Amino acid sequence: MSINKLLVANRGEIAARVLRTARAIGIKTAVLRHPAEVDSPAHTIADEVVTINGATPVAAYLDIDQIVELAQRIGADAVHPGYGFLAENAAFVGALDKAGITFVGPTQEVIDLMGDKIRARNYVEERGFPVAPSAIEDDNPATFVERARAVGYPLLIKPSAGGGGKGMHIVREESELETSIETARREGERYFGDGRLFVERYIENPRHIEVQVMGDGQGNVVHFWERECSIQRRFQKILEETPSPALTPEQRDDICESAAGIARAVNYRGAGTVEFIYAPNGGYYFLEMNTRLQVEHPVTEMVTGFDLVAEQLRIAAGEELGLQQSDIRQTGHSIELRICAEDADADFRPAIGDILLMDEPVGPGVRVDSGILDGGSVTTDFDPMLSKLIVHGRNRPEAIARARRAAQDYVILGVTTNLGYLDAILAHPKFQSGKVSTGFLADEAEALKQEPDDTTQDILMAATALSDARLVQAVENVPEIYRMMGGWRN
Amino acid sequence: MRRMQTQIRPETAEFKQASAQMQEVVKRFHDMQDKARHQRPQRDLDRLKRQGKMLVRQRLELLLDPGTPFLEFSSLAANDLYDGQAPGANIITGVGVISGREVVIHADDSSNKGGAWYPMSVPKIVRALEFALENNLPVVHICDSAGGYLEDMSGVFAPGGRVFRNQCMLSKKGIPQVAIVCGHCTAGGAYVPALCEHTIIVRDTGAIFLGGPPLVKAATGEEVSVNDLGGADMHTSISGTGDYPVDSEEAAMILAREIVGTFPRKPRAFDWSAPEAPYYDPKEIYGIVPVDYHVRFDMREVIARIVDGSRFHEYQPDYGTTLVTGYARIWGCKVGILGNNGVLFNDSSLKAAHFIQLCNQNGTPLIFLQNTTGYMIGREYEERGITKDGAKMLMAQAGSEVPKLTVLTSGAFGAGYYGMCGRAWDPRLIMSWPSSQMGVMGPEQAARTLGDVKLAQMRRADPDLSEEAVKELRDRVRAKAENETSAYWFTSRMHDDGIIDPLDTRNMLGIALTCAAGVTPNAPHYGVYRM
Amino acid sequence: MRRILEINGKETPIWLASTGQSQVLHLGDREIPCTLDPATGKGAYTLELDGTRISLRIAVGEEATFVHLNGRAYEIGRTDPSQTLGESGGGAAQDQMIAPMPGVVVSVSVAAGDDVAEGQALMVIESMKLETTITAPRDGTVAEIPFAAGDSFGGKEILLKLEPLEEAE
Repeated sequence: MSINKLLVANRGEIAARVLRTARAIGIKTAVLRHPAEVDSPAHTIADEVVTINGATPVAAYLDIDQIVELAQRIGADAVHPGYGFLAENAAFVGALDKAGITFVGPTQEVIDLMGDKIRARNYVEERGFPVAPSAIEDDNPATFVERARAVGYPLLIKPSAGGGGKGMHIVREESELETSIETARREGERYFGDGRLFVERYIENPRHIEVQVMGDGQGNVVHFWERECSIQRRFQKILEETPSPALTPEQRDDICESAAGIARAVNYRGAGTVEFIYAPNGGYYFLEMNTRLQVEHPVTEMVTGFDLVAEQLRIAAGEELGLQQSDIRQTGHSIELRICAEDADADFRPAIGDILLMDEPVGPGVRVDSGILDGGSVTTDFDPMLSKLIVHGRNRPEAIARARRAAQDYVILGVTTNLGYLDAILAHPKFQSGKVSTGFLADEAEALKQEPDDTTQDILMAATALSDARLVQAVENVPEIYRMMGGWRN
Repeated sequence: MRRMQTQIRPETAEFKQASAQMQEVVKRFHDMQDKARHQRPQRDLDRLKRQGKMLVRQRLELLLDPGTPFLEFSSLAANDLYDGQAPGANIITGVGVISGREVVIHADDSSNKGGAWYPMSVPKIVRALEFALENNLPVVHICDSAGGYLEDMSGVFAPGGRVFRNQCMLSKKGIPQVAIVCGHCTAGGAYVPALCEHTIIVRDTGAIFLGGPPLVKAATGEEVSVNDLGGADMHTSISGTGDYPVDSEEAAMILAREIVGTFPRKPRAFDWSAPEAPYYDPKEIYGIVPVDYHVRFDMREVIARIVDGSRFHEYQPDYGTTLVTGYARIWGCKVGILGNNGVLFNDSSLKAAHFIQLCNQNGTPLIFLQNTTGYMIGREYEERGITKDGAKMLMAQAGSEVPKLTVLTSGAFGAGYYGMCGRAWDPRLIMSWPSSQMGVMGPEQAARTLGDVKLAQMRRADPDLSEEAVKELRDRVRAKAENETSAYWFTSRMHDDGIIDPLDTRNMLGIALTCAAGVTPNAPHYGVYRM
Repeated sequence: MRRILEINGKETPIWLASTGQSQVLHLGDREIPCTLDPATGKGAYTLELDGTRISLRIAVGEEATFVHLNGRAYEIGRTDPSQTLGESGGGAAQDQMIAPMPGVVVSVSVAAGDDVAEGQALMVIESMKLETTITAPRDGTVAEIPFAAGDSFGGKEILLKLEPLEEAE
């Protein structure tokens, strides 16, 4: 079977990225668009733009029935969910299966299994893979708090149905335990519709290391090596790289083989990522498995030379994996920066505004996956990530240097972004030495702040005054002879 | 135009000494001017603070475009009158730039005697309004006056009407006026805002009424507050005497700027090109013009330090050599310059009349640089018709339609002062250098003549007049003569538009020319020349 | 030609002047001659300041100007001081609503003692076949309403009084 027409049930940079590959391999393409959305690159790449409706744009992208119906109407034989929205929604997969439309991703059962953090954890633990000490509410709600206490401090409370860093709380002291549980439960209800919790031992200064895996659902699985995603603000990744500077080659093999083993255990189909917590002593524990393509997949593509979306589409069309583990090698180093519309100096408050000027960086080893257009605008309708800047270098220092230059050359004016903040991270000696953990950004918050110096202030004020057309006009309106005399008094 | 050559040697000891002396004189002028502008009784300053009012010069800085010049007129008016109680006659007048347009400013100075109008305040305001009428310039009035100075009302009353008459004439000519009422406009003063097209009143400090609450109570027994009688809200919503109520003086200035910004711009008459600074250092004027008017200097050297690029096209250089005539540019404007180099003879008078007509023919503004002890006397000259020739010069000058500007650089005596466009001959501006002296005749001459007459009178009364008495009389008469021929005496009585530093003269002329350029001159038309 | 520029929360008043050759930026006591020339590229300019030539990108928004300089983006807030003062000039001291001409009260929606907000509808009147809604010029408390629905009133009569504002410190 081959895919004839692909509907991308997503938006922004990931929709554009998937559409580009689909077009390149000759598949007809369509993408969704809510009337409230501004123009974006995806709309120009797709052959067809299909309108979806909803009270809010987000609601529209979560409307399973409408999307399935649209897919049928336009004659799409496959749907790519991107990431977020319905990418890990088992019910969506079921609806597509019923409609006879191929879902580019794993099976409903696997999504179900891995989507439930607790079930996933148990499953993985039973098969001998390492997991962190924990307490699961569902096992026995009555004894939950006691068992949570027994996990030991510091511990991390997470919503079972959660992901993306939301609703998580670190508890360091007994006195905070019960209130934190209450808060986490309320947040679980609010964000995920499910207030059940589980509690894990919290590893101090952990590193977040994940492994890209790919399976064909016919028993074949390979891994595409690891990614390090320890640079996080409020539990959300903003900078990822591969290879991880923390791992020795043996540790790398070990952790990647574990991930592949987990994927093999569920006869995984499609692209997926197994996430681990890596402790300072070299130990690692299974965190969760994401049964979809991740935001940071491009760094893997840059070092391995593979187009992961092309592989996804091949596998969705029924092809065999056709790859040996030895076919997949890491060459050089890649870093990805997530460019978000937010004010890093104001606690990362999301920013809105019009994109008055945009100019993407270009150069060797520079790739930009963008969801915005010059002249577009940024609203609070969707999450604040605007684009991804990915660089590749022959080694980590070269990748860092290229990333810095590209971040500095990336011009986005009109809305506040975290580009300056990301550059400050890249410049930080601790980052450059590779000695980071997930607490890095919080620990170095002060050092990462940047205030313009006096000369810069003068330059900014001069530029602002001289580009203010009405101000300049008011001055030009004064007859020249008076301007030349200046503020003379007799 | 070719650049002038100079004979001045600024490195010589004599030059340096002369320059130092003149700088002394100029410094004394600046000190006097600073005192007149800024020294105020503490009582008045405290009162302003209590009332929440700004000083008048602070108001000006907010009103005018930042980084633009302000030419102040008659800063030393009334300097030796009223025991020095009314510096500048309590009024600031001048021309400045607001929202890119030239505007004549009249601002009451309430930091002295509540801004009361003394008798000399009236001609100062009248003069500013005349300047506006002649040059078609809009006027902004900052009104904050206690009204006529009570002890000298008779001196203010009759002439005062001319202020309001000029306001009516401005309106008749289509020239707009703005009034910013930041204080009380009482009795006659109430007409200033009433005769303006745009009146802004500041709440709680500004008020307009023909009689204030005490007067009303005395006259009719009615008790009424300042605000109810003539405050901002009453006049801008009920009586219609005012147009815009504002909450603060800052807001009033911003609003006035906005209003002026709506006035149309005028096209520019005359011949303009890109301005060029003088080639020679203007500061050398201090060493060129001596403090003693008896000492001669070459007016050309002064011209070379005032005009663009020190370029001057001299007309009739070898004829009538005691009068220099020629074309130059000042701040880019082509002008015709007449400058004295001594006494006026028949030929210099004829040359002047001729050159004045020439400039009128080609629409060139005239600049008169005075340094004269008058027309030549003596039988030979009378027979050749010196008076007739002087009359022709006066006739040409009076028939001029182009704007005229006059600077008294050193001496200005006799009819020469008239012929070279003195006050009575309607120069758009006439200003004097601090060392200049003027009068019917020189002070020594005056002292001697008057002294002789008085001495004869005294001797008739007392034949045994002592040596001391004679000396005392002569000294007294000479001191009076010297005092009454000084620039300060004249400027105090509004016989000129102010004393000015020689270094500031170029800018003054440039501003005056730009103001004048808003009116295209008519074709000239002269009376009868006695040939 | 004055502006107030804000960078990172700090406000600086400036004014701009120009001589023949270049503009001059005035901040406090300092004068900075500067010129801005377009350069090649989107929004690209060269700023000459203090003898140095600086390349930058500029995008001008409604209330702020955005500059990309030396690899970083900056936002500079712009305020025209005359705008802010102009706004505070209106009706703050109005305590009385005065009838513009004779008419009839159609309806009254507040009573003496009520607290009202700026812009709140107080009463509807009809004059010369025109209905007008009288709204509160400022926040305040109603002191007195001399007329009721159905009453006629003459021109210049007071339709509603607000309690006078207390003197602010």
